[in-house]
Amino acid sequence: MQDMVGSKKIKTMLLYVLAFVVLIIMVFPYIYMVLSSLAPWEQVDRKIIPTKLTLRSYEWLFAGGEDVVPRPWLRAFFNSILVTLSSTALMLVTAVLVGYSLAKLKFKGSRFINNVILFQMFYPAIILLIPLFLIVRYSGMYDTYWAMILPKAVNLWAIFMYTNFFRSIPDELIEAAKMDGAGQLTIITRIVLPMSKSITTIIFLFLFMERWVELLWDMLVVRNEKMLTLNVLLAQMFGPYGAYPGPMYAASVLLTLPILILFIIFSKNFKEGMQFVLK
Amino acid sequence: MASPYLIYSLIFFLFPLLWAVYLAFTNWNLIAPDYEMVGLRNFIEAFFSESVRAAFLVTYKFMLMFVPIVIAGSLFLALIIHSLPRLKGLFSVGYFLPYLASGVASAIVVKGVLSYNSPFNAFLRRYLGLDIDWLGSPILAPLIIALMMAWKFMGYYALLFLSGLESIPKEVYEAAEMDGAVGWKRFWYVTLPMLYPSFYTVTILAVGLMFGIFTEPYVLTGGGPDYSTHTWQLEIYNQAFQKLNAGYGTTVAIINSVVTFVSILVFRKVLEKWGARHGWE
Repeated sequence: MQDMVGSKKIKTMLLYVLAFVVLIIMVFPYIYMVLSSLAPWEQVDRKIIPTKLTLRSYEWLFAGGEDVVPRPWLRAFFNSILVTLSSTALMLVTAVLVGYSLAKLKFKGSRFINNVILFQMFYPAIILLIPLFLIVRYSGMYDTYWAMILPKAVNLWAIFMYTNFFRSIPDELIEAAKMDGAGQLTIITRIVLPMSKSITTIIFLFLFMERWVELLWDMLVVRNEKMLTLNVLLAQMFGPYGAYPGPMYAASVLLTLPILILFIIFSKNFKEGMQFVLK
Repeated sequence: MASPYLIYSLIFFLFPLLWAVYLAFTNWNLIAPDYEMVGLRNFIEAFFSESVRAAFLVTYKFMLMFVPIVIAGSLFLALIIHSLPRLKGLFSVGYFLPYLASGVASAIVVKGVLSYNSPFNAFLRRYLGLDIDWLGSPILAPLIIALMMAWKFMGYYALLFLSGLESIPKEVYEAAEMDGAVGWKRFWYVTLPMLYPSFYTVTILAVGLMFGIFTEPYVLTGGGPDYSTHTWQLEIYNQAFQKLNAGYGTTVAIINSVVTFVSILVFRKVLEKWGARHGWE
């Protein structure tokens, strides 16, 4: 009996060791990225763990080298934040409003809208790429922040998620609020939204992550270097900065670290929240 | 409240959709003020184009590499998390972190790790006498991109398998134990069939993903060598925005969406038939 308890303990411990080793393998590219950004240049991509650490790659990134003009990395970083936040905020607002209307309001044409959404969800978006680009160009949005924000202000997946979630809120709650004379907007902000905190966190995280790493669209609609997002700038410098891997790692850290931190801060109830999203 | 949504859909969905269909029958080059209707010429040209055929085949090649790797990997991760008595949330989050990576940043790491003087290649040369040009090989280059994508999506799909594992009732395992199914046998005959819904979802998601690859090959290989990583999105991007064939590019996009739609439909039907034949649900 004693032996069985002992062997079970060892088994559990081995399991944790395995889980931990796998975790290290999964996050190894991130570790490699950070270490390489801090390594002396002669050791970048030559040693996995550098013998000493230096900030030279970061200094070079922002100040430029002897014959290399510095690129607006910080500006690009703020562009990314501006575009991602505005776009994500709009997607959340539209998803809440449309989701609520579909789930709780009885109005003419709600079935029609439902079908439109389903159709859009299953339709490959690639077909719209060229005409959307043309709309952006002819409407004068080309080379402005609007070009990156407005065509990405609605997300069907988010609408779908909210519609399903709001359906699970009892109608009596909303009826009671209406009796008290609350308008629809008050009901949404005072009753519905406080109940959807955990799902909102998850939807926000997913929308933010996906918007943050968008490449193709942001690359097409903005040419002005001052308005490029960090991801696009990094992709553009991939070739030209090929001889400077250290600074490229530094720029990758600039691109990756904020979103990792944001995610870890908000990930408290990640597993539970995901259960709903994955259903 | 939903009517602004309809207006938005009109501008950013229905209108471009109709425009796309119209453009596909023109020879417009994005710049010239004049263009002509060319009938089915774009479609015929695309049908005989080497790069379109490459994109078509490369997608299935990616699928062949990516789908088995990502399914095996994510199932493995899910089994680890599921069997841990504690800290499940922590490891789910940890395994999920690769999903946050931008394809551009991971391309930088991959390029560095595979560069000629990297510790990895130095090791291979020194101890195994192998000198491999990873990204210059038409077999290895797509495999590397498939691995990058598998790394990114494994932790995400693991959560799908995990919720599948957690939904298997304890009684099923108890009944299986009575019948003598333990260890591997139990895993093979009880757990896996019970996970069929998760397999179904993950496979369809993974298959659908393969039709939308852009960032990794765009940054890392540019579609090469020999079109071996030339995806649909790269082909559309090249045609429409590099060669400025807006009409032809739209045609390719329409062909792409039809191929995607049909492929996913076929996969669904095959998986459903396969599941039904074995009595899984």
